Amino acid sequence: MSNGYQKNPKKEQLPATNEDWVEALSAPADQRAVSFLREKLISGLKPALHKYVDRELDQFVEDVAQDALVKILDNIHSFRGESKLTTWAMKIAVREGLTELRRKRYDDSSIEEFRYPDDDGRNELTSLTFASELPDPDDATHEQLLLQKVLDIINNELTDKQRRVIKGLMIDEMPVEMLTDQMDTNRNALYKLVHDARLKIKDKLKLDGINADELFNDQ
Amino acid sequence: MKLSTEQLKQLIKASVNAHPDEIGCDDCYEKLHEFAELKLAGKSPEEAMPLVEDHLNRCPECQTEFEILLDALKAAESAS
Repeated sequence: MSNGYQKNPKKEQLPATNEDWVEALSAPADQRAVSFLREKLISGLKPALHKYVDRELDQFVEDVAQDALVKILDNIHSFRGESKLTTWAMKIAVREGLTELRRKRYDDSSIEEFRYPDDDGRNELTSLTFASELPDPDDATHEQLLLQKVLDIINNELTDKQRRVIKGLMIDEMPVEMLTDQMDTNRNALYKLVHDARLKIKDKLKLDGINADELFNDQ
Repeated sequence: MKLSTEQLKQLIKASVNAHPDEIGCDDCYEKLHEFAELKLAGKSPEEAMPLVEDHLNRCPECQTEFEILLDALKAAESAS
């Protein structure tokens, strides 16, 4: 990072190496390098996002590229060189674009549609049940008993938060952003909640000597 | 609150396939640019970074993000 690129505006070449890029994008940033990167981001985002954006694609992509550039410049020294800098920058731009698109989808959704009937979605859940009631144990198939067993685990072993996530994602089919907002959390924490729930179900089944594989023999 | 049989089976399948070493969305994102670049270079990132591959297979949001990133990188490359 010692070629002093941005301190030598007469130099014509654009950054060639990662070190050149970091140098050029460090404050005070070389505006020519910034412009080049902006165009590169736009040239990738536009075709990659076109099927997700229903109108004003050009404006949307330019706004996303601009917002991404701010983040890239702010975080330029966190780039560790595991890839080309432009690949890292594109990742940031794609995240920016998807966050904006998901936010729009969230805003466009009917919030009321996802409200819990008796509260604002923040109180404890009651237990989950089957869509169709199970027959008496004497008449139930092995599969039905297994499903009931797992339902019991969900109701008795998982935390209220884990049940809320299962309900939100699987029953209500809520957008992840809506659920993270409702639960005042983020996507990573949500994944961890579900992961812990899945592990709990797996461990409990194993502890009880139950093999669930036969459920999926025909799939 | 009702879980359909199919939804429950889906959850059970995801549960029996659960692994303690799974990474989360943040760790996946940290590696995504490196993973994508290896993929585009025709190398095998799934061998070098199996936990990232595993997370992408489990997480639809991260999978979508990865696919868009690949599309964007290809498009930017062909435009330059």
